[in-house]
Amino acid sequence: MNWIGLSTLIQREVGRFFSVYRQTVLPGLISSGLYITVFGFTLEQRISDIQGVPYTLFILPGLIMMNTLTNATSNTASSMLQMKLLQQLPDLLTAPLSGAEIALAYIIGGTVRGVVNGVLVLLLGVLLIGLPVMNVMGTIGFIFLVSWAFASMGLLLGQLAESWDQLAMMQNFFLTPLSFLGGIFYSINMLPEWAQKLSYINPIYYMINGIRYTILGISNSSISTSFWMAIFLTALFTTTAILLMQSGKKIKE
Amino acid sequence: MSIPAIEVSGLTKSYGDVQALRGVDITIQKGEFFGLLGPNGAGKTTLINILTGLVFRDNGTTNVFGKDTVKNYRFTRSKIGIAAQELSVDWFFPIEKLLFFQAGYYGLKPAEAKPKINDLLERLGLSEKRESRLRQLSGGMKRRFQLAKALVHDPEIIILDEPTAGVDVELRRDLWDYLRDMHSGGKTILLTTHYIEEAEMLCENVAIINKGKILKEGSPKNLTDELGKAGITVQLGKIENADESYLSEFTYTREENRYHFSVKNPDSAMPQIIQQLSKTDVQIQSIECNVSSLEDVFLNLTGKGINE
Repeated sequence: MNWIGLSTLIQREVGRFFSVYRQTVLPGLISSGLYITVFGFTLEQRISDIQGVPYTLFILPGLIMMNTLTNATSNTASSMLQMKLLQQLPDLLTAPLSGAEIALAYIIGGTVRGVVNGVLVLLLGVLLIGLPVMNVMGTIGFIFLVSWAFASMGLLLGQLAESWDQLAMMQNFFLTPLSFLGGIFYSINMLPEWAQKLSYINPIYYMINGIRYTILGISNSSISTSFWMAIFLTALFTTTAILLMQSGKKIKE
Repeated sequence: MSIPAIEVSGLTKSYGDVQALRGVDITIQKGEFFGLLGPNGAGKTTLINILTGLVFRDNGTTNVFGKDTVKNYRFTRSKIGIAAQELSVDWFFPIEKLLFFQAGYYGLKPAEAKPKINDLLERLGLSEKRESRLRQLSGGMKRRFQLAKALVHDPEIIILDEPTAGVDVELRRDLWDYLRDMHSGGKTILLTTHYIEEAEMLCENVAIINKGKILKEGSPKNLTDELGKAGITVQLGKIENADESYLSEFTYTREENRYHFSVKNPDSAMPQIIQQLSKTDVQIQSIECNVSSLEDVFLNLTGKGINE
């Protein structure tokens, strides 16, 4: 194991997104702040409580989760594609690093970005509207798990994509719609039965309900289902991303 | 004999229907300055990309210091520093930081890498630019940075893929001096180039590659002696006597009063030619000596020039 190589690449990946924090950290905070402001001070008075929780509090866990998973995904996906397109990848592929080490470093970098963004939105909620956090360690642990899963998925996308267009398509046509349809802004009990059934095949639904449980103690799905779904996605995407990197497909000729 | 630094045997590689390498065999000894000379598309970059792990080989073996580059990739890659032809771009970090990252990938801690990085930045004239981003460097500086990146882990083998392509004459000479210094310090250097002059001036041994095959290998001198076509061109005044028997010992062609003698060694042949011509009453108006080069060798082997 090349530990120094691995930690160097992790430092590079973390340093990369912190060096452009205006693009990678602030936007999530600003958009979440806007959601809180708009919904908290305007719409909330017209929308009744959901499962006994005021509307702004209800949506905050979903916003945290959306920020977490979109940031974790885009960090690994965009970094990998950028390295491919800007001829930086040969520096890694000609170094004494294994495919697994390269993949792990990327995943850890993406996980850090997911956790940083998730925790910052959580803190914003605590500061702005006094968001009560029922289980702090459980919440941070769940943010970590989901960040890892989606950072792995992002790495997979980054390895497979050959252009920014393809990557944007994955984000805009799949990830964002699945996040919104995962129940950020509503409880699935408010949906017709057929739409509820559709939600059950959306993995992000379980992520949002998992964190809603660790923060507010309410959920449409059981916490164990959410937890095991997160474990399953983490194992699936991590294994696939590492195997693809080790195989060299799509990155070597 | 010691284990060769690089040993390639029966190497083949195809991209779809295109055969990039068709059974390449090369042996490069430790401390050797070896040139891979061929036109664009000959297979040079494919060969070094296989050695460094960027491209999968189809068949054959590629060993570095006796170890297979696939099975023992950690060992073989740690021995090689490569300056690729394509310049990479990084928007995020200053060049000094990029060198620290590069050293880290090869297992060097920052404290271990720092003296080497300082030395490289100094020697390659980049120390004042250490805080600059790559995009802020000139083309020549980027090329020097590429070299610094290849050398940061102090590799035993340095592979340079067209290091002077597109650089100005001054920088080219600076880089040549630097490569000579490294070679005299005991480094093994594999250089790919399509500049004849570069291969002739720097390399102890050269392999001429074309269309994925090694056509000939040897020292530049041996290759030009064996396959070169040095010549002496003599322009004569009015020739009254049509008898040319006094030139029978030479191989030559005649075009009106201009004779072109094909010789192996112009230095020793020129006095003999002048002596023979002086025995007659012809007047020598001018003599030109054309020294043989690898260009002639390449022309001889392939039927066309390297840059055609």
